[in-house]
Amino acid sequence: MSFLTTIANKIAPIYPMAKRWLYKFHGGVFPKYNKSLSTRNPIYPPLIPNVLILPLPQAIGEKAEPLVKVGEHVLKNQLLAQADADANRKLVVPIHAPTSGTIAAIEARTLPHASGLQELCLILQPDQQDQAIDNALKVDGTWPEEPQALKDLLVHSGIIGMGGAGFPTYAKLPKQKGKIHTLVINGAECEPFISCDDLLMQTQAKSIWHGAQITAQALGCQKILCGIETNKPKAIGLMQKALDAVQKEAKSLPMEIHQVATVYPMGGQKQLVFEVTGIELESGGHAIDQGLLMMNVATLAAIHRAVEFGEPLTSRLVTVSGEGLQEGFNIDALIGTPFNELTAIARPKSPIDYPLIMGGPMMGVRMPDNHVPVLKTTNCILANPPEPREMQMPCIRCGECMDACPVNLLPQQMYWHAQGHEYEKVEKLNIKDCIECGCCSYVCPSHIPLVQYYRHAKSEIKALNADKEAKEIAKQRHEFRLERIEREKAEREARLKAKKQAVKKQASAAKTPSAAASAAKAAAAKAKAASAKGNDNKPLSAREKAIQAAQKAAANKQGQTDNDKKTKGQSIATAKDKAIAAAAAKKRAQAAAAKQANATNNELSTQTEKTVAEPDSQPMNAREKAIAAAKKRAQDAAAKKAQSNPKTETTAEQQKAPPQVEDSQTTDLSANDQQTSPALEKEQARKQAVAKAREAAAARKKTQQAKAQESITEAPENASDNEASTGIKAKPADARQKAIAAAKAAAAKRAANKANSANAQKQKDSTE
Amino acid sequence: MSLATMPSPPSSPYAHNDQTVRKVMLQVQLAAMPALLVHIYLFGFGIVVQWLLAVATLIVVEYSMLKLRGRPVMPFLTDLSALITVTGLVFCIPPTAPWWVIVSGSAFALIFGKHLYGGLGYNPFNPAMLGYAFLIISFPVQMTNWIMPAEISGHFIGFGDALQIVFTGSLQAANTSFDALTGATPLNEMRIGIAQGITVAETLKPIEGHTSHTGFWLGLNSWAWINIAFLVGGLYLLWKRTIRWQFPVGFLGSLFIFAWFMHEINPEMYPPADFVLLSGGTMLAAFFIITDPVSASTTPIGRFIYACGIGILVYIIRTWGAFPDGLAFAILLMNIAVPLIDQYTQPRVFGHDH
Repeated sequence: MSFLTTIANKIAPIYPMAKRWLYKFHGGVFPKYNKSLSTRNPIYPPLIPNVLILPLPQAIGEKAEPLVKVGEHVLKNQLLAQADADANRKLVVPIHAPTSGTIAAIEARTLPHASGLQELCLILQPDQQDQAIDNALKVDGTWPEEPQALKDLLVHSGIIGMGGAGFPTYAKLPKQKGKIHTLVINGAECEPFISCDDLLMQTQAKSIWHGAQITAQALGCQKILCGIETNKPKAIGLMQKALDAVQKEAKSLPMEIHQVATVYPMGGQKQLVFEVTGIELESGGHAIDQGLLMMNVATLAAIHRAVEFGEPLTSRLVTVSGEGLQEGFNIDALIGTPFNELTAIARPKSPIDYPLIMGGPMMGVRMPDNHVPVLKTTNCILANPPEPREMQMPCIRCGECMDACPVNLLPQQMYWHAQGHEYEKVEKLNIKDCIECGCCSYVCPSHIPLVQYYRHAKSEIKALNADKEAKEIAKQRHEFRLERIEREKAEREARLKAKKQAVKKQASAAKTPSAAASAAKAAAAKAKAASAKGNDNKPLSAREKAIQAAQKAAANKQGQTDNDKKTKGQSIATAKDKAIAAAAAKKRAQAAAAKQANATNNELSTQTEKTVAEPDSQPMNAREKAIAAAKKRAQDAAAKKAQSNPKTETTAEQQKAPPQVEDSQTTDLSANDQQTSPALEKEQARKQAVAKAREAAAARKKTQQAKAQESITEAPENASDNEASTGIKAKPADARQKAIAAAKAAAAKRAANKANSANAQKQKDSTE
Repeated sequence: MSLATMPSPPSSPYAHNDQTVRKVMLQVQLAAMPALLVHIYLFGFGIVVQWLLAVATLIVVEYSMLKLRGRPVMPFLTDLSALITVTGLVFCIPPTAPWWVIVSGSAFALIFGKHLYGGLGYNPFNPAMLGYAFLIISFPVQMTNWIMPAEISGHFIGFGDALQIVFTGSLQAANTSFDALTGATPLNEMRIGIAQGITVAETLKPIEGHTSHTGFWLGLNSWAWINIAFLVGGLYLLWKRTIRWQFPVGFLGSLFIFAWFMHEINPEMYPPADFVLLSGGTMLAAFFIITDPVSASTTPIGRFIYACGIGILVYIIRTWGAFPDGLAFAILLMNIAVPLIDQYTQPRVFGHDH
């Protein structure tokens, strides 16, 4: 005993709060324990009630699937219900028959839960024979060496945390060996009235230690610490005795009993771990992540019985106590025993017409109905007659709650904001760390049910956060959509701009090397190339003629060789067809033609990019539609390019173009180039013209995507070469030849634009 | 918030330590008893008359305000919080002040200090100090006209005398007049002395029949003994955990250090620390006024800062301000700072980083 402990113990009689100096964590309260109400009597002999109610869902997790039918006779320890699928995921806990008997019904019964919820329960009618299946879990008594082996065993044993939380033990254990360095045994039992753990430690101390050893061995723990409150001297003595015996039997890892101060809530995980190990569990974290595992004494005893004897968990020590009972006691009650059957044998002072409490007075739950079954987590059945309660007064900010809070929260501030529905502020005050121990309510001189406010605030915050999250997702989706629209628009505009610039550059490139005449020629050729595609009649009547001529030529000569469907349509054309084809083609080529015309005109007049951009931008809207239409049209034909550099084709539209077609076409074209037969020459020329025109369109598209990567210096060189060649070829005045020349000019243009890219190179090869 | 009496709490915990607001307030009232007795012994029954007047006012004001606010009267009238308010105020005013001083002061404190803000638990300012500030600004003459203790004036004021003085403003006694019984308090004397260039030591020099007379118990004057009585009551409250140590320690500590430091710098201009601590309402404030939890800071560190702030402000106002005792203003000023202090002094929650 340290000096401070001595002082505190000396002062405690006159200054009770000196007891707070006896332990490490903040706050805590010292309620009237009343434990002798149940400890003064021996453990009550085993009792088989008239009916057992076995809820399919346990404290935590989903419902188990029943394996038995109504009317079926079952034996003690027989598996009655189990998980259907992945038990680990749903935290399902199997149910075993606590005694032998008949399944009377499978029906909804009220659960021992504050909500008064009804859930499916197996109703077992005991036959009082208590015929049991020995070693129901089929174990050989050896202790598992690996965590998974223990987990596999526990998943069938039906063991859950028996301290109150009821988390399935198999799910609580880590999969990895050596992750846990310290196993903490919780024998604190800090709640008033409850004495079942005390009695268990007195009667089954060895089993508890063995259970701890089994767990520690499987998990590879380095030490075992057992925390017991100083108000249980008998338990401490017997546990120590058992510990000595266990350690004498076989060499074991270090095991130790820590006598901890008697204070509520010493039995809380964070509090007891801090007390016995000095490690502060992080907020929001799991104990196992810090290498710690805490288990209740009852859980460890159950583990021992399961591992050693193959016994599933079918009964537990329950304290039946309270100020309304004359003879409180502890009993090894079968799971499913109705509460009122147990309180009836404790000689109630007055008929129990008030609700019983499951658990202790600090954290217990008031039962909606007294005919509810004992669960694996039921440590106490408390019969405290209701007392008149003081009226709730306003908070006077006295701070008693703050001084009592074991996690050092500011309950008065949380209450203030919770009352004002300022849940964000409540959240900021770390309400999530509240363990709902009830210390604040216990000391509140204004009798404010603080914990209730916090529970409400927590649920409100949960709802708010869920709402916020949903809103955030919706917002993100909306923003993404806007962004996508914006991006698509920008891409479209960039494409247009690049197209324009490409045309412009082409024109300027054409101009530099050759004379003004050749520029004019090129312009004319371009115009004709456009008309060869079968379109823009408006600006020039000469062009119109060219179009018609070209179309006729196309109609006559193209025939089956045409790859493009639409051009095919044109090729089969009658007069009507021609007209339709012309109309269709018009759209497609409008953009190119107009742009070319524009670009050329602008180039001729001013030459600088800026001046070009200005006049261009104005007619853009009007032309945009036409361009878009032309683009679509051109895509099909321009598939060749798409294939040569698929990466650049990002939009869905472009991806539509089948790459295979392109291959065949390029080979076709190259083949055509090589052919010398005069009969086919015209046809091929026509074909080429069309193809090139399309390619030109597609090429422009690409150039936009290439985002003007092409260097200005290189472009003119290539372009000039092409231009020179086109100039020579353009000499023949034949309409068809003109068309060819025009197409070549277009190709040159395209080539100039793409001079840098491998793409352009390839295409140039194929067309030239 | 339901005000109806419920049979038992709707959810856990179902246990309670049986502490109530009433018990807390009653403890404070009990702790003030030594000071009250000493006060009666030294200054006569004036304070009893004042206290009875205050209680009468309290009942009328509380009843009518609760009725007007549509609140249940009995639970709130019997929470005894108003009693603490008026008791604090009564100790601050001269025991022989005219009856309307305490009546208007109490009414103001309760109405404007408490009910208009929403009643118990919702007042941002200390009601007693609000009432006192109201009085000292409105009636400075009546509020500074202190009666001399019997040891100096040589006349003990009985209950009858007190009634007569309070209600008529004069005393028809055989051998003395009311004016002869009044004088400046030591604090006031110190102020005036310093203002007139008289050194501190000179002012404190024990003179027979003067406030500086120290021939009384243990060489301390009557005002000092009142303060000691409050200290005793305060220690009781600390033991009972009705008040928190941060308040008196912070307040008295900062006041002491400040006073000691100033006295060391210039002993002629600044009174010694023991004089500062045992004069005026220092101990009353330390244990009974600034400990009012409603208007004080609520975090542990915040309470200390709050108390230190008051200590420093009290010394500043006493020394360089316009009022002889700066308590009320120091407390009200710190009341304003409470939300800010609370905001920045939240303790570290278990499992969180420092």
